[in-house]
Amino acid sequence: MADIHLDPDVLSGLQDVMEGEYPKLLDTFLDDSQKRIEALRKARDDAKALGRIAHSFKGSSGNLGAVRLAQLCQRLETESVKPSSDLGELVDQIDHEFALVRPLYESERQRFSF
Amino acid sequence: MSALAPVLEALTILIAEDSAADRLLLSTIIRRQGHQVLTASNGVEAVEIFAHERPQLVLMDALMPVMDGFEAARQIKQLAGEALVPVIFLTSLRESEALAQCLDAGGDDFLPKPYNPLILAAKINAMDRLRRLQATVLQQRDLIARHHEHLLHEQRAAKAVFDKVAHSGCINAAPNIRYLQSPYALFNGDLLLAAYTPSGDMHVLLGDFTGHGLPAAIGAMPLAEVFYGMTAKGYGLTQTLREMNAKLKRILPVDMFCCATLLCLSAQRRAVEVWNGGMPEGYVHEVATGRRTPLISRHLPLGVLSAEAFDDSTEVWPMALGDRVFLLSDGVLDTADANDQLFGAARLQQVFAANREPDRLFEDIEQALAAFRGQARDDVSMVEITLLSAPPLRVAEPMYADSGQSSPLDWSVSFEFRAQTLKNYNPLPYLLQLLLEVHGLREQGGALYSVMAELYSNALEHGVLGLDSALKRDAQGFAQYYRQRNERLAHLNSGYVRVHVQVSPTDQGGTMTLRVEDSGSGFDIEKELARPVDADRLSGRGLSLVRQLSSAVGWSDGGRSVCVEFCWEALA
Amino acid sequence: MSIESEVSLDGKKLTIAIKGRFDFGSHQQFRESYERFYKVPEIYIVDLKETTYMDSSALGMLLLLRDHAGGDEAEVQVLNSNSDVRKILAISNFDKLFDIS
Repeated sequence: MADIHLDPDVLSGLQDVMEGEYPKLLDTFLDDSQKRIEALRKARDDAKALGRIAHSFKGSSGNLGAVRLAQLCQRLETESVKPSSDLGELVDQIDHEFALVRPLYESERQRFSF
Repeated sequence: MSALAPVLEALTILIAEDSAADRLLLSTIIRRQGHQVLTASNGVEAVEIFAHERPQLVLMDALMPVMDGFEAARQIKQLAGEALVPVIFLTSLRESEALAQCLDAGGDDFLPKPYNPLILAAKINAMDRLRRLQATVLQQRDLIARHHEHLLHEQRAAKAVFDKVAHSGCINAAPNIRYLQSPYALFNGDLLLAAYTPSGDMHVLLGDFTGHGLPAAIGAMPLAEVFYGMTAKGYGLTQTLREMNAKLKRILPVDMFCCATLLCLSAQRRAVEVWNGGMPEGYVHEVATGRRTPLISRHLPLGVLSAEAFDDSTEVWPMALGDRVFLLSDGVLDTADANDQLFGAARLQQVFAANREPDRLFEDIEQALAAFRGQARDDVSMVEITLLSAPPLRVAEPMYADSGQSSPLDWSVSFEFRAQTLKNYNPLPYLLQLLLEVHGLREQGGALYSVMAELYSNALEHGVLGLDSALKRDAQGFAQYYRQRNERLAHLNSGYVRVHVQVSPTDQGGTMTLRVEDSGSGFDIEKELARPVDADRLSGRGLSLVRQLSSAVGWSDGGRSVCVEFCWEALA
Repeated sequence: MSIESEVSLDGKKLTIAIKGRFDFGSHQQFRESYERFYKVPEIYIVDLKETTYMDSSALGMLLLLRDHAGGDEAEVQVLNSNSDVRKILAISNFDKLFDIS
């Protein structure tokens, strides 16, 4: 599982559920996620804030099939309550992972633009 | 979407979720399932929307900015009041502490991320069922509360009506009656009635209908009606009993009946006549000796036997002035303690034995019951009647509607009552009613009835039945006298009592002469009249009473015929 | 509380046994215990051996049974009552209607 960045089954499931709203869901996710990445960067030294943002980001990325991203958020959320954890390293990993899945979602989104 | 569990009813569902993507996803899923969706992106918004729109179900993210889901859930639950508004927490929280926090805040269920539309639909349906169940329970609770309120109202109304009927007698007015009844004893079937006869005797009934509630109370009305009607007209216990039994037998279902003790206390005769069908033993308390004579249940309750099979035989016990009769309902004896042990007659006897102040007997009994059980029952009835010298005589008059112009003033009538009739018919109420047609006699109705009753019973008991009044010297002889009376009456097949009434006008008003003759062997008039008037003697009181109450008395035919006269002055 | 009833092999005797409290709560069950038999027995036995308590509603039920069994012509025996139950039957003078032993 650790190697899955984007679960195609989840996407096809979402497409079924959302029907016409599917492209909007992808747009919303990308937009929302961009805000969270920025928020994570800003909160680098605030463990509590990092935990809260990671919790929320974990939820939406899980829902959208970004499996590894969700796992990283989960780890950040867990680590955020432990003393003397190196959270910066995790934030970088999340940043990196999002940079990786973002084009995948964008290309998925492209399939529906006319 | 057709694969999802069918939606029972479209709900309005509030989604509180700070992630826009999740909010969109969830809204779409739920809308596709046929529900209406409201959305909020934080706790404050959620509470505001809830307050305005009153959605039926809430999907709540736990961690949100501004106000988190826990606090929002708490506020929403408070706003919802008694109605169940299910709150499903949207969370992938894994720590048990956080889950406990959701439950503490009033959460009803959880939905983990990522969302599964099937599970979500199933959970919404399950919560909707709970919500409806709660709504039904509340509705039924309110309905029951309304019914209960209604029932209490009806009981209060019924009790008010009934109190008017039941207490139309002398139960509250008579100075010699003390009673204690739990306020709603009526709805446990307990009934207490008391009234004066025209001659100033007192009739008392303590009854206990089978069952509880309204069915138990309902028989009380006709019973009270018969009791008061017949007592006022001068009927004795036996006729009244027969009528009550016949009436109850006719109107009550087979499995309902009325245990009852009926008393006739007579200060004139210094005696109490008793009929007990199915009630616990009451007592005659002889104050001078402290002796308590039990009034044992000898009969089936009222309303069980047919008129033909009914047994109206009574017992008579002597009483001195100041002696007391005590009656109680089975609520006293059947008071049970925590281990289902009954209070019982033995404990009651102990209370009697320990009682030092007769006037505090009820309090002593109540205390003993409280000590035994710790709380009161609602079917406890006790009554105690003290024999006092007779109250001033008066007829508890039925209302007379006529103006007096039609009063008959010149007439006579004769009756002959023969053996078969003497056995079980009491002509006195009829005669009294006839005589009270004469307006001038109405004021003396009580005295008239007392004199008639005395002369009639003398003619029957000493004349026709040949009973010796000397027997009534002591308590034992007293009981023997009444046993003999019943036996001889039962076997009577010859003899008569004749009653002649003559009403004539005079210048001032009118006179009524009443002659009573019997078929007996007569008595020595001179000797009887020579006996001193002795109020404490059990026998011989009758004649002195007659001499006190009527204008003139005369015997003839060797004591077989007695004549009394009543005079009145014309009404203004 | 439980009520059991059975008819003798020759069908002439119906025995109703009452266990525990015999009170207003027993009404339905008591009625069914004799109404469910199609054939009318000659003798009815009410067995109170295991009856712990009896109230006035129970007396009413005995009257119903007596009525069902033919009223004055009925033969209803009440057996094995303990001393408390016997007292209640005695106060009500039910021995004048039922064969009590």
